[in-house]
Parts: sequence; C-alpha cells; structure tokens
Amino acid sequence: MMTDTPAHPGLISLQGIGKSYQLAGQHLSILNDVCLSIARGDSCGILGASGSGKSTLLNILGLLDLPDGGQYRFAGHDIFSASPDELAAIRNQQIGFVFQSFNLLPRLSALDNVALPLSYRGVSRHESVEQALRVLEQVGLAERAHHRPADLSGGQRQRVAIARALVGKPSVILADEPTGNLDSSTAQDIMDLLLALNREQQVTLIIVTHDAHIAERLERKILVRNGVVHEAGRP
Amino acid sequence: MSLRVEQSLSQLLHEAFVSLRTLGKRSILALLGIVIGSSSVVALINIGHNAAMDAALIFKDMGTDTLIAQFPPKGDSRVPMRSRLDLDAVRQAVPGIAHIGALSLFSGPIVFHGRSVNANFVGSTPDIPAALRLVLREGRYLSTFDANETYGVIGDQIAQALGAPGEPLKLGDRVRINDYLFLVVGILHNQPRAMLMPVQANESLFIPADGMRRIYASPQIGNVIIRAAPGQDMERIARDAAAALQRQLTEHTVDITVPQQMIDGMTRQSRTFAYLLLALGAISLVGGGVGVMNVMLMNVSERRREIGIRMALGARQRDIRNLFLLEAITLTAVGALCGAVLGMTAAWLYAWLSGWAFALAVAALPLGVGSTLLVGLFFGIYPAVSASRLQPVEALRDE
Repeated sequence: MMTDTPAHPGLISLQGIGKSYQLAGQHLSILNDVCLSIARGDSCGILGASGSGKSTLLNILGLLDLPDGGQYRFAGHDIFSASPDELAAIRNQQIGFVFQSFNLLPRLSALDNVALPLSYRGVSRHESVEQALRVLEQVGLAERAHHRPADLSGGQRQRVAIARALVGKPSVILADEPTGNLDSSTAQDIMDLLLALNREQQVTLIIVTHDAHIAERLERKILVRNGVVHEAGRP
Repeated sequence: MSLRVEQSLSQLLHEAFVSLRTLGKRSILALLGIVIGSSSVVALINIGHNAAMDAALIFKDMGTDTLIAQFPPKGDSRVPMRSRLDLDAVRQAVPGIAHIGALSLFSGPIVFHGRSVNANFVGSTPDIPAALRLVLREGRYLSTFDANETYGVIGDQIAQALGAPGEPLKLGDRVRINDYLFLVVGILHNQPRAMLMPVQANESLFIPADGMRRIYASPQIGNVIIRAAPGQDMERIARDAAAALQRQLTEHTVDITVPQQMIDGMTRQSRTFAYLLLALGAISLVGGGVGVMNVMLMNVSERRREIGIRMALGARQRDIRNLFLLEAITLTAVGALCGAVLGMTAAWLYAWLSGWAFALAVAALPLGVGSTLLVGLFFGIYPAVSASRLQPVEALRDE
C-alpha cells in the first residue's frame, strides 16, 4: 500500500487509524490500522460487505466520528487537535455529504434545504437563496425549487441532496450508497452527475457502495474487509 | 479558511418563521398553559392597578389634610354628648389648624310645596364649609350672625328633589321641617361622594348649630372636622387636637381618624392581594413552562435525524442549541402575545363589571410578556442543550 510523504499529504491522509466500540460489555474492533491517502480530484469507491466497517470509515472521513487512535490530516488540519467547532466548520466548508436515504429536511422546501449549509457560514438569507437557486439549476431542478421533499421523486430528492452538497463549493463529496434507494436508470443519471462534477470541477469524490458497476466507473477502489483496508489494483 | 462564523440575523429570522409555521397541535396545547399564565399576570397587574386607582379616587375629594374626630362614650356612661364645644380653644391650643368645625346630625322629612324628601339636618358651625370643602352654587353660607336665624343651606340632590320642572327651588324659598320654616340662603354644588365623611353634602340641609334645638330636643355633637394648614404633621395635629378636645369632655373619649393611616392600610392590603395574584400567575406560568419543556424534549427526540443532518452540514453545537432555543422562545412569544391580548380583555371586562374606569397599567404588558419569555428561555435551555450535545454520528444513525 502506497503512502505519501509527509511533505505532500494530499487532501486526506490517514495513518494507523483504529476504531472500536464497547457494545454490551464486548469489545468490538471495527477498523484496524487504516492507512489511506486521497489526493485532490481523485474519485474513489469504498467497497465492502455489510458490517465490514466501510460506513464507520466514511463517518471518520467525514469528521462525523472521531477515531480512537492514529493520525488524520484533512486539508492541512490535524483532526485530533481540532475543536468540535472547527470540525463543524471543516465539514461545512470542505465536505459535501450525499446519503443513501437523501436526508433532506421534510419541513423545508428544496430551495431551503440547498441553502441550509450556507446559513452556517454567516451568509445572509437573500444571498444564500440566490446561490442555492443557481446550484439547483445546475442539477436541473430549478422549476422544483419550492417543492417539499415529499413532493419529489427519489431521483429528484437525490439531486436536491447533491445540490445541497455542492452549494458550499466543497473539496470533497462523500456519498454513502447514493444510488441505493433508486431504480437503475435514475441511479445511472445520479452517477453521471457525480462523475461529471468530479471531472469538470475537480471535486474529490468518495463513494461508499457495494455495487460493482458503480465501482467500475471510479478511478480507485478501496476494499474494506473485517476492518482492514486494501486498495484494489495497487500493491 | 476562517473557522469562526456566526449565523446571520436574516437566517435566524427565517428559522424562527419556519418553526412557527410548522407548530403542531401538541405545541398549541403546550401554548395553552403559557397563554393562561401570561394572561393572568397581565390581567392581575392591570386589575390591581385599576383597583388602586379606584381606591385613590375615594380619598381624592377628602384629601389627606382632613381629620375626623368622633366621641364614643366612656365605658357604660349614658350621659349625652355636649351640644357645643369651645372650638376656638382647640384652635389656639393646636397650631397648624386651618379650619375646625363641629357637626350635629339629625334626619327627617323636609317639605316644600307639598313635596316631601328625607334629608340629613346638619347643625354646623361657620367653619364647616371650609373644613368639608363645600362649594356654593348660589347664595351664601351661614355665618356667626345667623346663629339664631331659621336659615338653611341646601345640598344639590335635595334641592333637585324638592323642586319640580318649571318650579325649581330658589334662594329665598322656605322649606318646612316639623313646624319650622327655614329660609334657603344658599344652594350647594353637586359634591362628589366622600366615603369617609360622616355627612354627604348632597343629601343634607345645613342649619346653624344653635338652631338644631328647634327640630330636636337634645342635639349632640357627632363629629368635629379639622382641616390642617398645608405641610403639617397630621399625626401630631391629631394627637394635640385629641388632647385639647379631651380637656372639655368628661364622659366621652376622643377618637381621631387620620386618613393617611387608612390610605396606608388600604395600600398595604391591596399590595398583599396583588402579590398573591402575582404568585398565582407565576405558578401557572411555571406550569406552562413545563409544558413547553415537554414539547421541546419531544421535538428534540423526534428530530434527532435532522440534528444529525444539520451537524453534517456544518452546524456547530451552539447553532443547534440556538435553533431549539429560538423555537422555544418563538413558541412562548406566540403564547405571550395571545396571553397579553387575553389578559387585557379580562382586565377590561373586570373593570367594566366592577364599574371602574379602565386604565392601562404601564408595567402590565412588559412584565407579563417579559416574564413569559423568560420562562420560555429557562425551560427551553435544557432541551436545547441536550440537543446540541448529541454526537453527529449518533444523531444520524437509524433507530
């Protein structure tokens, strides 16, 4: 497995990351000694069976969960020494999340959902709505801006979610089974959209999937098996 | 990259608006407690204020510079009260008295042109009009030279009742009491009711004290009215006047009422009452606050996933805390506004039913609404902080 030199850590660099839980008095080791580095503009698939630890890895990559030990640098920040507020700010400005179950807020319109990340940056309401509308246009949903998520189809909801991930101009999009709840042709559209963003805007793309067809379309394939990470096609 | 940012005001306002729009039925039930609490605080403060204003009105015409002396008999003494007192001696003994007059009272029918009305006959000394603040509409008051005359000064209501349309009671008319005709030399203006005074001028005929014997065999002095010069110590004048009057009496004691003492007593009483009402309002507010806390805790547990999503999108702990605090305050603000309207309506109704003039208490609205918002803030903090303590990965996990 290749490791970058400390001088060029890339966008994301994990060294010896471990994570374990205490569950019902049992010690469960989820991730063991994970070393991984991802450069700006990469597109990676994280593959593995259920329970292999790939979701935990994604949560750690997305700063939603803290590892027990190791070293993690994200865009130059040492994650272990960052305060919760700083982690929130990094999530807000550098990471865009796309979830399997979309995770839109049902009380807000599509437009307000997309504008939400900007509100945590001190952008005024007027300006954030303008930017959100522009991104919704980009994903082809401008005419649905004022619909509630409940009034949208699955594919449209995922487009709104992608627009929400994009609105903050992140350096990484983390997608957890983004096509898991969609039919195959809609899934194809969503993947096309994500890959186009990776290609045209150099957004780093990290997709958790168990679908080999999706993994085929990504440059790197990272396999997680029993808490250990291998990269396919690399020594 | 800057890591410190605050949500802009326009975004916060938008969040508050969304939460207001999506208030559920349960929130409305929780609001009920808040509405009752805040309306009772607003209503009670206002009702208390109006009651105090009404009480103040009673004393307004009497003034706090007036003293009323009564003469209860000593022990079992059956000796009637004297029919005259040396008021000049009292005036000389006590500095600071502006006016002093004695009243002896009797009541009975008064007849004019065949019309008969019951009235109080007030045997009065010449200083009485000044002591009682009587105002003449026509004619003059009784003077020292009228002591032996059958002259009378008549109160407004009696004059109205004795007169007839087209034939009003005029100066120079004679009214009959028993077998005596009294010449009307003065007619009084309508006087407001003076609650603490022994006589109501409107329903009285004032005649010279010495003439009382004509209509009543053994007239007695009922009261002595003293009006102090401005800026005097009323307690001292009451004490000295009582001592001076006592010197002339053997079988009676002197009992002087100081209006200020009564005002103080009433104020104390109404203040105790107001505190009691306020405590009731506060208790219902706390009840409402617990309701708000309950709704907010349910809200937080129902929206765990939303909290997780917001955290993933970059909300800091304090943003989540502010979100739920803002919702709790928006909720209570709606309750406080409804309560303010309801409370004012209740206070107005109460004033209307009691026949008081309705006046807005300055403190009622800010105190009522402010205390309600504080309750919302206090009971909203715990749910909001517990929401903000959630870990993003736990909040996002499926149940």
